[in-house]
Amino acid sequence: MSILANKETRVVIQGGPAGVNAARRMAEFCYLIKQPLNVEAFVYPPEAGKTHEIPYGSGLIAVPVYATIAEATKHHPAINTSLVYIGADRAMKAGMEALDDPHIKLVSMITEGVPEKDAKLLGAHARKLGKIFNGPSSIGIISAGACRLGVIGGAYDNLVLSKLYREGSFGVITKSGGLSNEIIWICSQFADGITTAIGIGGDAYPGTDYVTYLELFEQDPQTKAVVIVGEMGGDLEERAAEWYGAQKRRIKLIGIVSGFCQESLPKGMKFGHAGAKEGMKGEGSARSKSEALKRAGAIVPPTFGALGPAIKEVYHELLRSGQVKEIVEPTSLPVLPKTVEEAMKANEVIVTPLIRTTISDDRGDEPCYDGYPASELINKGYDIPHVIGLLWDKRLISKQEAEIIRRIIMLSADHGPCVSGAYATILAACAGIGMAQAVAAGLIMIGPRFGGAVTDAGRWFKYAVDNKMSVDEFLAYMKKNVGPVPGIGHRVKSLRNPDKRVKELVAYVKSLNIKTPCLDFALQVEQVTAAKKENLILNVDGTMAAVLVDLGFPVDSLNGFFILARTIGLIGHWVDQKRQDSRLIRLFDYLVNYAVPKRREVPPLQ
Amino acid sequence: MAKVLEGPGMGLMKKWGIHVPNYVVVTSAEELDKLGQANDWLKQGKLVAKAHEALGSRFKLGLVKVGLSLKEAIAAVNEMIGRQVGSITVSQVIISEMVPHTEEYYCAVKSVREGSEILVANCGGIEVESNWDRVKRLFVEIGQQPVHEDCERVVTDAGFTGPLVKKMADFATKLFTCFDNEDAQYLEVNPVVMRESDGELVALDAVTLLDADAKFRHPDWNFQFAAEFGRAYTKNELEIMAIDSKIKGSVKFIEIPGGDTAMLPAGGGASVYYSDAVVALGGKLANYAEYSGDPPDWAVEALTEKVCSLPGIKNIIVGGAIANFTDVKKTFGGIINGFRKAKADGKLKGVKIWVRRGGPREKEGLEAMRALKDEGFDIEVFDRYTPLTDIVDKALGAK
Repeated sequence: MSILANKETRVVIQGGPAGVNAARRMAEFCYLIKQPLNVEAFVYPPEAGKTHEIPYGSGLIAVPVYATIAEATKHHPAINTSLVYIGADRAMKAGMEALDDPHIKLVSMITEGVPEKDAKLLGAHARKLGKIFNGPSSIGIISAGACRLGVIGGAYDNLVLSKLYREGSFGVITKSGGLSNEIIWICSQFADGITTAIGIGGDAYPGTDYVTYLELFEQDPQTKAVVIVGEMGGDLEERAAEWYGAQKRRIKLIGIVSGFCQESLPKGMKFGHAGAKEGMKGEGSARSKSEALKRAGAIVPPTFGALGPAIKEVYHELLRSGQVKEIVEPTSLPVLPKTVEEAMKANEVIVTPLIRTTISDDRGDEPCYDGYPASELINKGYDIPHVIGLLWDKRLISKQEAEIIRRIIMLSADHGPCVSGAYATILAACAGIGMAQAVAAGLIMIGPRFGGAVTDAGRWFKYAVDNKMSVDEFLAYMKKNVGPVPGIGHRVKSLRNPDKRVKELVAYVKSLNIKTPCLDFALQVEQVTAAKKENLILNVDGTMAAVLVDLGFPVDSLNGFFILARTIGLIGHWVDQKRQDSRLIRLFDYLVNYAVPKRREVPPLQ
Repeated sequence: MAKVLEGPGMGLMKKWGIHVPNYVVVTSAEELDKLGQANDWLKQGKLVAKAHEALGSRFKLGLVKVGLSLKEAIAAVNEMIGRQVGSITVSQVIISEMVPHTEEYYCAVKSVREGSEILVANCGGIEVESNWDRVKRLFVEIGQQPVHEDCERVVTDAGFTGPLVKKMADFATKLFTCFDNEDAQYLEVNPVVMRESDGELVALDAVTLLDADAKFRHPDWNFQFAAEFGRAYTKNELEIMAIDSKIKGSVKFIEIPGGDTAMLPAGGGASVYYSDAVVALGGKLANYAEYSGDPPDWAVEALTEKVCSLPGIKNIIVGGAIANFTDVKKTFGGIINGFRKAKADGKLKGVKIWVRRGGPREKEGLEAMRALKDEGFDIEVFDRYTPLTDIVDKALGAK
């Protein structure tokens, strides 16, 4: 047996994320004691109509969210308990709503910082209705082997260690949420564990006091003794003492009160929970409470350390008198399934990774590019081309190489609004499309006819150099197997109207006194092709390709240089249009050659 | 509970129809001089000047002066402003009119479990404190209003007679209305006096404790709450309070000069048992501290740094019960970072650290603490199998 919470308890949780977290903890306990999940619904207007998925064992249970308590109990008439996780400014309204529902008999409020007046009104309203209002600031209620309300009991391991999977003989009532687990643990180590443990909250005037619960414990035959853990302030412990001393009670009472340190602190200095304040005339001190409990016949250990042995003594007395029997523990208990992360940490599972990376690691406090922390690269004077080198070719390139890459990017960052990429971005920008999509529209244009020949040019120049082809052999091979030579030819530029970007880049690379077999070969090819037709010059794609291959960049990465560089321009065009608030562009019909049939009649459908 | 100084306290009573003397709160003599030119009552009547700070025994300290002319009041303000009493510097003075009277009475409303109690006595000032049995009480259930006949009955019981019965009952009712509507936890008027000029009952002094948790529904609480401590908060305490006010969970820190046992325990309940254990063994607390409700690790780290900076400490008690949901690994991570910083700053020399804790991820958290030994920390780490406060016994050499 137990009090307040048992196997028939069905719960609605009022609140958001904190409530969902509590439901998870409660599901762990239900799993441990092999009971169905006791949370039937949430009430939280902002999320009404949704469901929360609560892990139970290795599965998930969908728990619906309602806007009101009335809706929740209409759909789940078995609900008899509410846990309130609503903020302090709305907690009273939520608590009243729950108390006023005829299905609900117990409301436990977890919210901290609830105004004292609100807590008193809730307590009074519950008493009037013959219901129980527990809290505010309550950590929850747990009945061993039967029911958990809230996060009381802590993590799964602690539930097992504290033997909460089956009932013992000790009731527990604490103000402090943090100490509830400690007392449950002590009861499981020094005695046979608990029946029910209740956190009544650390406020000055909790909705329900020790006496109400002591009465319930007195009537619960399984509970043989009750441990109360008090604090200075208020008169709840004195009232408990008064109740205990008033007549012969079946249960043994063990009580301890904190706050003796107050006596030796500087005057006026107080600390602990909100309710832990000494009264005006010295009443409510730890000493007066302890004395009251002792006078009433309760066992009052002198210090917290002496509590365990005191509980042990009571337990042995109960054993001797035959009121309790030694409990045989179950040989096995459900093991909470681990998450994949936990199982991996414990070396219990092998997971085949979904993707594999060899360049970048984000798992530390900052990204590492090919192993080098980004901030260290910055602080040691490295630049953007070095990052490109690390991420595209997994090597730290030299200063000289970086300078070449820098120039390539600067030269190809933009080429005016008329080219396919920029034009597509501008069209999109004028249609009101966002930056990422408009820039992507421009990037989509990059292909065999616009900017996308770098990789292919590099591939074939490299092929020729690797195979020690002559220019003639190369051109013959290309004609037969590939088609026009990528990197050769320009729409408007020619030998007489050279592309200054190409001249600039070639001149710089040549000035460096490095080996450039691909570039040299490409220039030889140009000599031959341009002689045949004036505009068959080495274009900027072909030049970049040859230089980058000479620097050792993998062929597959080469288009990236153009894409990267041109993205700078495309972003510029999008921002430019946006700032001008440009209008939608529509093609004028005189710019279209309508080579279409004349208007005619549609024949009947056959 | 939040203490409110006399000025704003009287303001709240006035709001609910209680007669209070005219008063002004000033921060300089010049201010009072200007106010004197604007307000006839300051020029014409006799005045009282009181330091407007959370100080006890102001009379003895010479921080209350009565029967003053405006000129004398200005001089009194000049004298009081800037006076240092312990850690508190007088920065405000309240000037109120003297209310000529012959009799003094007492009236208060206090919070009790099922509602509140109205207290009345037909004596006031220090007389009521030495004759507490003359105080009569009327219980008012939460959500209810006092019935006028009941008020009159208790006032009569307290020895009031004639027309005063109704007047005092009215006064008590108004004080209750103020208490009820302002989320007060304690209101005390001592003394209540009968003004000779018009026979009205006037509140001459106000003790006001409000429920700080209810601030959200009182937009007109534009005053600061006074320290209830009998001293001003220290810089370190204020810094931790500032962190506490903006995080999930809580961190608390109070310095106690002269102690040598530093406290860094978890939980509002357990922390007091740890403090009790130190005191029970004759130890001297260097501080009170507490973190709970799964606070962020950086907040715990800041708290740890303050604890490590306490002068003359020999032991640090990193105690804690078995947590419900506070992540031990994460919060210990904050403590460990704080310890490392303190050590790098040359602190923690000759300081022994004692750890005991349980809760979510306790194994990982305790292991991380144990590993500090390898970094040269003098640290002893215990798990849940060592009873809660045993580390205090060990630290203070009792075990």
